[in-house]
Amino acid sequence: MFFHIVLERNMQLHPRHFGRNLRENLVSKLMKDVEGTCSGRHGFVVAITGIENVGKGLIRDGTGFVTFPVKYQCVVFRPFKGEILEAVVTMVNKMGFFAEAGPVQIFVSNHLIPDDMEFQSGDMPNYTTSDGSVKIQKDSEVRLKIIGTRVDATEIFCIGTIKDDFLGVINDPAAA
Amino acid sequence: MSVEPFNRLVKLAARAFYDDITTKGDNQPKTGRSDNRGIAVVVLDALTRRQWVREEDLAKDLKLHSKQLRRTLRFFEEEKLVTRDHRRETAKGAKIFSAAVAATVDGQQTAKEGEEKIKLHTHSYCCLDYAQIYDVVRYRLQRMKKKLKDELENKNTVQEYICPTCAKRYTALDALRLISLDDEYFHCESCNGELVAESDKIAAQEGGEGDDNARRRRREKLKDMLQKMEVQLKPLIEQLSRVKDLPVPEFGTLQAWEVRARAAGRAANGDSSGIDPSRSSLGLGYGGSSLPFVGDTKVEVDLSGAEGKGEVIKSENESSLKVLPPWMIKEGMNLTKEQRGEAKQESKMDGSSASLEFTDDKKSLIENDDKKNIQDEYVKAYYAALLKKQQEIEEAAKKHDLSNAHSLNGLSSMSSSRQVGMKSKRDEDEGDDDVEWEEAPVASNANENYKVDLNIQADASGDDEDDDIDWEEG
Repeated sequence: MFFHIVLERNMQLHPRHFGRNLRENLVSKLMKDVEGTCSGRHGFVVAITGIENVGKGLIRDGTGFVTFPVKYQCVVFRPFKGEILEAVVTMVNKMGFFAEAGPVQIFVSNHLIPDDMEFQSGDMPNYTTSDGSVKIQKDSEVRLKIIGTRVDATEIFCIGTIKDDFLGVINDPAAA
Repeated sequence: MSVEPFNRLVKLAARAFYDDITTKGDNQPKTGRSDNRGIAVVVLDALTRRQWVREEDLAKDLKLHSKQLRRTLRFFEEEKLVTRDHRRETAKGAKIFSAAVAATVDGQQTAKEGEEKIKLHTHSYCCLDYAQIYDVVRYRLQRMKKKLKDELENKNTVQEYICPTCAKRYTALDALRLISLDDEYFHCESCNGELVAESDKIAAQEGGEGDDNARRRRREKLKDMLQKMEVQLKPLIEQLSRVKDLPVPEFGTLQAWEVRARAAGRAANGDSSGIDPSRSSLGLGYGGSSLPFVGDTKVEVDLSGAEGKGEVIKSENESSLKVLPPWMIKEGMNLTKEQRGEAKQESKMDGSSASLEFTDDKKSLIENDDKKNIQDEYVKAYYAALLKKQQEIEEAAKKHDLSNAHSLNGLSSMSSSRQVGMKSKRDEDEGDDDVEWEEAPVASNANENYKVDLNIQADASGDDEDDDIDWEEG
């Protein structure tokens, strides 16, 4: 699920950036630092959409670095248990398959794949129904449901299922 | 506090879950002789008939070796069915105790007590913890159901993987770390062994790979198991729901229970003779393990019995409050109208009017009987006086009749008034009878209010009371 929230961060800026475009430098450094990171609490920071305010800078003794408290708006993505996501399959093996929904990785074990789909090994390993009409392989797009999340301080990993109504392949690259 | 439903719950749970529990270690060979399955049920049943009990005593009662019993009890403690308490009693205390017991209690018990005391220093006690049992059983059922359902639907279960070589377990959440680059299997982090999925643990015992056939078979088996569980555990579930709103019997800690049981035992015995004080003092002094003969359940029964008796007596009192038999009512008794009972009053009252008055006037009930007596006399006197007066009046009327022209009129009015109403009567009375009537009020001054009441009633009722009006005048 996506959220638009305000976060705060203390930015350290090198003295060489002090000048006319200090603020631009600060913002670009913030984007570089923050976007794409993951915190267990808020999820993945997808994008910074704006700066709320920049507080007073504090010059560090010895280094000359200046610390600015920056409040910024950002879009975060946090997967929840029970959430339905669309994801791209990245890897298929005997144990199940891995998929990615943006930054989050999801594992679907073979027990959570419908019983009528069987693993086919080969140079393009895949899960296929007996009539061959549905095939899950690398780069397939699947709709899945998250049934468990593992949230570490800097990492979120999910397990999902496609063994439910309206879940499964939504777009097959091989067919296209 | 009724223990019975909870005892039933314990018994059902024991038979459902602990029937085939053997407390033997796995290393010991299971021969027919050493097979002690079912012991758990026996112990639990025995505990339902007791409250706090010393483990040695329990062992003796069950004819079990105390070690075996202890092993079973430890198992139940881990299962949270039983609370245990261990108390260390010094050898000295035990000796003094036994000596004191020898002095007070009869011989057989003394020997038993003393012997045990000297030999054993640490005593363990155990007791069923009904509140916890209730929770434990519910939790167990819930877990069983959940496990089966999850397995059955294969839904929302986090797949588990196990390393066959080092028995390390992983969940699907670890999957990212476990994929190896060279093949499509998960590999153990520590020993790099190939992991196997561990979900079909219930049904896959009879072998069979994860192919379709096996899966279908497994599903059927799970479904079957779930159904069987529902059927077989139905009595237990029903008992749980029956017990749900009942207050849980609570025995408290060993100390608290002992204090209570001792008090109850003394109350039940009735005689607080030399035995009891000595025992209680000993109990307090040396750890209070001095309830040898107060059978645990017996204590409770006695207690409840005593309470029951008390209630019965109370209820009797209450009922007796309602209606006292007439012979029990004495003068000056502070009783309500209902206690006396209407019928009795009326029977005592000669005049119906008077009884009516009494039923109405609650305050006067205290002096009820006095009044009645007075009233009776009063009525008699009144009738006598009335008779006399009537004769006089008649004579006077005759005289008047002769002398006065309108005396005839007066006579007729008087006679008519006797039947019809008081007004005319009063008029008539005004004439000459005042003096005579005044005597009676002097005699019964205290009963003013009574008199008034009587008269008022008389208005409504029959002929005789017509004359009462005269009293009012007086």
